[in-house]
Amino acid sequence: MTGQPSTAEEQQKLKVIGKRLPRVDARERVTGKALYAADLNLPGMAHAKLLRSPHAHARIRRIDTSRAEALKGVLAVVTAGDFVDVPFGATVTMGDAGFDVWVVAQTNMAREKVFWVGQPVAGVAAIDEHIAEEALKLIEVDYEPLPPVVDLAKAIEPDAPVLHSNVITKGVEPAPRAPSNVCSRTLIARGDTETAVREAVAIGEAQVRVDTAHQGYLEPQVVVAQVDPNGFATVWASTQGQFTCELMIARILGLPQSKIRVVPMEVGGAFGGKIALHGEAAAVRLSEKCGRPVKLVLTREEVLQGGSGPAAGAMIDVRVASDSNGKLTAIEATYHLDAGGLPGMSPSLVMQASAALYQCPNLKLEGYDVVTNKPRTEAYRGPGGIQAAFAVEQAMDILCQRLGMDPLEFRKRNASVTGSLMPIGTPFPTIGLTDILEAVGRHPCWTEPLQPGKHPRGRGLSIGYWRGTSMTSAAHVTIAGDGRPMVTMGPVDISGTRTAMAQVVAEEFGLSIEDVLVTTGDSKSVGYSDIAAGSRVARTTTAALVEACADALRQLSARAAEKLQCKPEDLDYAAGVFRARTGAVISLPELMQATLGEGAIVGRGVSTRLPLGVEIGAHVCDVEVDPGTGQVTVLRYTAFQDVGRALNPPAIEGQIQGSVAQGLGWALTEGFDYGPDGRLRNASLLDYRIPTALDVPPIECVILETPVPNVPYGVRGVGEVPIVPVAAAVANAIARAIGVRVWHMPMTPERVLRAIKGGTLA
Amino acid sequence: MKTLIRCTVNGEEHTVLADPRDTLLDLLRDRLGLTGTKEGCGNGNCGTCTVLVDGEPVNACLMLAVEAPGHEIVTVEGLSEGNKLHPVQEALVKHGGTQCGFCTPGIVVSAKALLDRNPRPTEDEIRHAIAGNLCRCTGYDKIVAAIAAAAAEMAEGVGR
Repeated sequence: MTGQPSTAEEQQKLKVIGKRLPRVDARERVTGKALYAADLNLPGMAHAKLLRSPHAHARIRRIDTSRAEALKGVLAVVTAGDFVDVPFGATVTMGDAGFDVWVVAQTNMAREKVFWVGQPVAGVAAIDEHIAEEALKLIEVDYEPLPPVVDLAKAIEPDAPVLHSNVITKGVEPAPRAPSNVCSRTLIARGDTETAVREAVAIGEAQVRVDTAHQGYLEPQVVVAQVDPNGFATVWASTQGQFTCELMIARILGLPQSKIRVVPMEVGGAFGGKIALHGEAAAVRLSEKCGRPVKLVLTREEVLQGGSGPAAGAMIDVRVASDSNGKLTAIEATYHLDAGGLPGMSPSLVMQASAALYQCPNLKLEGYDVVTNKPRTEAYRGPGGIQAAFAVEQAMDILCQRLGMDPLEFRKRNASVTGSLMPIGTPFPTIGLTDILEAVGRHPCWTEPLQPGKHPRGRGLSIGYWRGTSMTSAAHVTIAGDGRPMVTMGPVDISGTRTAMAQVVAEEFGLSIEDVLVTTGDSKSVGYSDIAAGSRVARTTTAALVEACADALRQLSARAAEKLQCKPEDLDYAAGVFRARTGAVISLPELMQATLGEGAIVGRGVSTRLPLGVEIGAHVCDVEVDPGTGQVTVLRYTAFQDVGRALNPPAIEGQIQGSVAQGLGWALTEGFDYGPDGRLRNASLLDYRIPTALDVPPIECVILETPVPNVPYGVRGVGEVPIVPVAAAVANAIARAIGVRVWHMPMTPERVLRAIKGGTLA
Repeated sequence: MKTLIRCTVNGEEHTVLADPRDTLLDLLRDRLGLTGTKEGCGNGNCGTCTVLVDGEPVNACLMLAVEAPGHEIVTVEGLSEGNKLHPVQEALVKHGGTQCGFCTPGIVVSAKALLDRNPRPTEDEIRHAIAGNLCRCTGYDKIVAAIAAAAAEMAEGVGR
């Protein structure tokens, strides 16, 4: 009941945590019974469709919806005028920084200008989808097309068309007077890189381009909204955060939060892409207007062609330097991140991620957030991490090659340890990078020589870091009449959270996992919790539940003491039974049966600003490259990761294997292909090729445990970092196979072939 | 104009009104309420809508509802009997072969079709059989292991 077994011996005593238990919600998934938002059908339900911009950049002169409204079967039409004109810079609550709701308002419905192909300009609700679709064709939008700027490199040129007249580059002194496509500049610097580079014995350089890519969740965005006659809205959504969803809808519709309930349904994949709104606010307004429930289901083409936010493309230049002993002396890097049509994220986390794992006295990292006429990007699993590692970890590999040094040995010599200064100048909390590197060195994936194959083969190593976040999670535990703990948690389950949390609560109560029921609450049935993102949910919900269980057990103990006629402090509790010193016992079921009439037992817990559980991993990848076709085959893949403490090892392996598969997709095949007009040319899952079972090798996971101090069970974040090193590991393997680097990601056969032939890259 | 469709799904006869534009997937999900079959792309690229038509795995989004009569259609709902799951389903539960679960019904159906015609598949044959079913969460490892385990389990059952 401590929540913090600190020694190996205490860890041995864990009965449920750390066990290889199947997901508690697996049976409904394999039988097709798990309910996703698209599976809901309500009586009298109308169907909505969104009209999307065909232009990448245009001014909206006029929208005439009268013909659509007159179509038989059309129930309601909305345009930007039906929503609050949210001011530039407005935010809603999220962590310490807030979440930009002006951006969300523009993705909900364009106002005055459109910034990408696929941005919504109007919405229709009709009695069926076909009529809604028909009605979209009757909406007349008078556009004044403007020159689009699609390419990241062109967007930063001084004469580039400017998307936003209100965007003045932040982070530059003095502030520029004119607007530009550069939304912000971030600088992280220490020491003197110039001198270090000048005096270096070896230099590694990389200049990479990364194409915009998509999270590729298989479930398109869906919402069902119903506004009742009192104006109370219920929203069933595929969302990573029911509270954030509620806050955004409230702000964009001008409704009080108390009038909105967001029910998080099963999420069919999200990976960061289901945090913002993708039609939820529009569906609520349509339902309000037509007095019926409204369902909006995005098509796959909409998801890809501007209806959801992909992950940022990038342009990154890196130079790293070392002395003759292989000690890293400088990292210089410039990061341009392609935010798409609206200001994106600060590059700060990405910059930190790519330099944090090395003890390096001299750093100069400069990041820019840039807008282009492409869909506004959203988060994707350690946002920016894989892009940055693709550049930095290749530069490190080149440095090793120049030094003639083993890349693992080089990492060992320069690895950050507990207390090393992070790029922002604060010391690292407890980390186990050295242990990870030692584990790599002992593993057959590193010690076994590569077997020769039909084509050249190579082995690549790369390491990755992700900071993650903590924010706020709430949960409560109600004790059922039969004495079993029933958990309602705030965070949405996108990674097996219900199973891991059932293990935590079973551990705390000394019960078995079958005795615990865990559900995610809606935004009116559980305490405020932030989004399921940033590798924060398992850690912070564990902390909230340890507190909630202790609270419930205190209340139970008081009742037990009364029944057993002793003081609460004279009671022992173990495995569902209170025992008095007299030897008298009462079990949880007996206690609850005897005292139900005294009222509910509800234990409450909140975790806020929990110490970070930073994530570190190292990946080793073997590839074979066909020099005739440029085809890269991944032969073997091994991922090492420190998870603090593994709550549920199979779930962790699943997170790692899924991350690696996503990373392999982006590394080798996944890239958005935009025409100069800003139209996506591969807006289908045939042309935007995510890995199949034939493309991904078996992925071996090696789990290490360096617990985080002062965090219940020492749990670290898990889900994000395993995508970070992937593309760099593949790139380093390719380079060692064929002696050539492919600087453009994805490293498609065409690009590999061009690199081999020494041609210019596409 | 709606059209009357008589079809056999999971062994049950149904007579329903459908739109001539409806796909088999629309028929199953919207007319029959069999929402276990998912729509991930609507054009045959992702496999989330895989069902069996006369024992063969088919993307239900690529077949029209009006083509359904005369065929035996089986969906994920037809593979378990009450609480007794098909060995493939049991194995996916046991081996962690389902995460977000959206691809899972399609995987279950494709795997069943495989094991019906090839009870002892190699790993490569398993990977080929589910190559039309995209999964974004698992990296396929645990799915492949689960299908192999189900095959072994079923073979043992036959031998008994």
